Amino acid sequence: MSAIRAVVNGVEHEREVEPRVLLLDLLRAELGLTGTHSGCDDGVCGACTVLVDGAPVKSCLMLAVQADGAEVTTVEGLARDGGRSAVQEAFIAAGAVQCGYCTPGFVVAATALLERIPAPSDEQIREGLVGNLCRCGCYPQIRRAVRQAGEAPA
Amino acid sequence: MTATDERNWVGRRVPRQEDARLVTGTGTFADDVAPAGTLHTAILRSPHAHARIVSVDTARARAMPGVAAAIAGEEAKAHWSPLGANFEIPGMQLPTAYGLAVGKVVYEGEPVAAVAAESRYLAEDALEAIEVSYEPLEPVLEFDASDCGWADAGAARRPLVYDDWTDNVQFIWDFAFGDVAGAFEAADVVVRERVAVHRYGAMPLEPRAVVAEFDPGTRALTVRVSTQVPHQMRSQYARIFGLPESSIRVLAADVGGGYGAKGQADVDIIPILLSILTGRPVKWAETREEWLVGGPTGSRHYVHDGELALRADGTMLGLRDYVLADVGCDGAVRAIGLAALIVASNYNPGPYRIEAYEVHARAGVTNKSPYGAYRGYGKDIANQLIERLVDRAAAELGIDPLELRRRNLITDFPHEICTGPILESGSFAECLDLLEEKMDLPALRAEQERARAGGRHLGIGVVSTLEPSAGAIPMSIFSGFESATVRLHPDGTATALTGLQPIGQGIQTSYAQVVADCLGLTPDDVRVKWGDTESVPYGLGAFASRGATFGVSAAHKAASEVRRRLLVAAGTLLEAAPEDLDARDGHVAVRGAPAKRISIAEVARATYFLPGPYALLPGEPDQSLEATAVYTNPEVSWQPDEHGRLRIYPTHGSGAIGCLVEVDAETGQVAVQRIWYVHDAGRIINPAIAEGQMIGSSIQAFGGTMFEQDAYDDEGRVLTRTLSDYQVPNLLSVPEIEVFHIETPSPITPLGTKGLGEGGHIGIGAVLLSAVEDALRPFGAKVMDTPLTPDRVLALIDAER
Repeated sequence: MSAIRAVVNGVEHEREVEPRVLLLDLLRAELGLTGTHSGCDDGVCGACTVLVDGAPVKSCLMLAVQADGAEVTTVEGLARDGGRSAVQEAFIAAGAVQCGYCTPGFVVAATALLERIPAPSDEQIREGLVGNLCRCGCYPQIRRAVRQAGEAPA
Repeated sequence: MTATDERNWVGRRVPRQEDARLVTGTGTFADDVAPAGTLHTAILRSPHAHARIVSVDTARARAMPGVAAAIAGEEAKAHWSPLGANFEIPGMQLPTAYGLAVGKVVYEGEPVAAVAAESRYLAEDALEAIEVSYEPLEPVLEFDASDCGWADAGAARRPLVYDDWTDNVQFIWDFAFGDVAGAFEAADVVVRERVAVHRYGAMPLEPRAVVAEFDPGTRALTVRVSTQVPHQMRSQYARIFGLPESSIRVLAADVGGGYGAKGQADVDIIPILLSILTGRPVKWAETREEWLVGGPTGSRHYVHDGELALRADGTMLGLRDYVLADVGCDGAVRAIGLAALIVASNYNPGPYRIEAYEVHARAGVTNKSPYGAYRGYGKDIANQLIERLVDRAAAELGIDPLELRRRNLITDFPHEICTGPILESGSFAECLDLLEEKMDLPALRAEQERARAGGRHLGIGVVSTLEPSAGAIPMSIFSGFESATVRLHPDGTATALTGLQPIGQGIQTSYAQVVADCLGLTPDDVRVKWGDTESVPYGLGAFASRGATFGVSAAHKAASEVRRRLLVAAGTLLEAAPEDLDARDGHVAVRGAPAKRISIAEVARATYFLPGPYALLPGEPDQSLEATAVYTNPEVSWQPDEHGRLRIYPTHGSGAIGCLVEVDAETGQVAVQRIWYVHDAGRIINPAIAEGQMIGSSIQAFGGTMFEQDAYDDEGRVLTRTLSDYQVPNLLSVPEIEVFHIETPSPITPLGTKGLGEGGHIGIGAVLLSAVEDALRPFGAKVMDTPLTPDRVLALIDAER
């Protein structure tokens, strides 16, 4: 067992974890943050995307112990007090959600993309989010959502 | 209420009620729930496609720390019955299959033993301590015409997949109508083609997940599961475990995609067994590799040998088809893909007037994973054949392909097609006209000419589509009704309970729109509930695009009865006749005298709470503002008529799809540049949701036709074990898709709605083949098979060079 300490969605947590436990499993099973989803186990689908020190990370490819000392933001932490972030609002407005399983990963990855490129071109959106899969095929609506969120006043 | 009334909620782009929880990660998918003391499942699966199980020893695993149970097939037999059949059509061969293999494994990935442990990590550790001895058998990897008696089998007869079967044919469907021989004799032209589609299928991003809680004291079972059909799952679990259905509760809140693939009780029953054995909650969360290797991932794999007879003027006279499908180890018990062949056989003639038709369909078993259902479900099989034959005939006859279609499209409605179903309304010709206009075909053709002159190969494809919706399969768990309860509460808000199951198709919002219109409320006043067999009426769930036909109509029927009583009650209070009243904007008002009104909340409160029976609803047998309704459709018949014809779908959408591709003749790479999709599914409840379905189904079919593939090695082992190997469309690979609606209401549903959501799947395969063939016209290559991967397209070009 290894002791880790991490700030998750603004709250400091200390846990004893087995070295082999994935960050994804720590978030879901230990911290009850079930908005982060498992879809492929191989870092392909992006449903488990979270921010680690501001950078998008596929939490199925990261061990919990690697997050020691880090600041982690999950989809639940993008907006506080039950509100919704501009990206979350844009996904609703653009009709970018069907089954919603991929949505948290997309929203987190889009948040990171917009942090890096505040008003991305269509090409930048396609390339920036190619690591997230939506099996329902909402891609045109997702592009629209990210474009709109990029244009929205901060 | 009429379609043109802009005060209605139906027809508007109402934002989805579902999304607030889904964008914030606060939905409830099955794996999100973990009751206190939950054990976790890991499943040991066969590494062989076909083998006898000599022995399994779980003793060491059972003794490991943290392991609560470890069990294999022979021992488990004492605790459950074989899986129940999803279809029991006479003449079908059904395997005896258990949740854990007994005696023999018939596909790689078949569950052999299972462990329940304190964590998933410990459960997987314990799998390594289970010892299994196999005697490998020759795998059956093909099913072809020789297995059907349509071609000489030669000396090499394949082994049997099931020792107690007579052959490897699981299902036979033969049907003929009209003078087929006469039609072919009278024909000026007969075109024949072999049209084949490779193995691919649904890939919901949420793998299967189950949380089973058996209470040993009361022998009650609660199962939270990612499913499209909670009520049928309860029925199946009851049979398999010998429990009363009334002691079982099935829960399905949010489901992370289904597309047809989550409609059976298969591996899902293993955690239930483990919960019964341990008396503790047990979870199974499937991995992606488990889905790819052992799930119902293959849902396409068929070959047509079809021929179409025409007169010189293009009139279609007759159609004949021999179609076979490789359904893996099973398409009827472990999974539900098999009946797609019945649907294909019913709709092979497409949207065309064809009065002589003959089909011979065979489903055969091989040592591959079970054959699941997937969007399209046979309507795609039908479209793929007829549309390729029509293109071939157009070339043969020298008639423009759109013109040939126009000469044969059904334009009079209702129209009984030769296989029995009634196309109740439609607009095939209008869809084609609008498509031609939106594509600007003359300009596209000119662009194609210029490109060819410059050595580039553009291709244009156009197909018509027929989209039957709300199907039901005779003698199966997929029947033809849906249920709803609507309750207007004393505070003027409403609850709608539906037996239909949301899996991403916007049920919550669209049903709220329908109920809001009936009761004079807003969609936000209506709370839609689903997915709990203890709280919603018995319903059949999500399959065959049945929501807007059956589900919506049931909700409308229940809400209309509540509306009737609401107006009676309001009439008592307002001293007006109910027929002079209207419910709108939260009030009941006298028509023509809008000042004379009362709030719906006031009426509802008074109805429930004013003293004395019959106070506001004098003489009414039902003294509350709650009604339950079941909707079915008289246009459906599961009893074969004197010609053996069935009507398994009541509603039928129309469509036309066009696309533009560019083929790189040096690399074989196909770039799909644009797709245009014109669609008519009757009255649309929420255009944004409808467009999501149209685009989504198009993107899925694009992926399947272009590059998705279940690949196997020579031993029947799966090669595509991750989403890196089995590639699905992403933001960079998807083409531009434009969608257009025509609305021809269905005359047989109360709101004029029809199901939708499969149209892209139905037509995209054929239109891509058509466009690539058009691009390769300078080489004279025929394009009749999928996938359209670069190596295969290059081989087509090289074969003609």
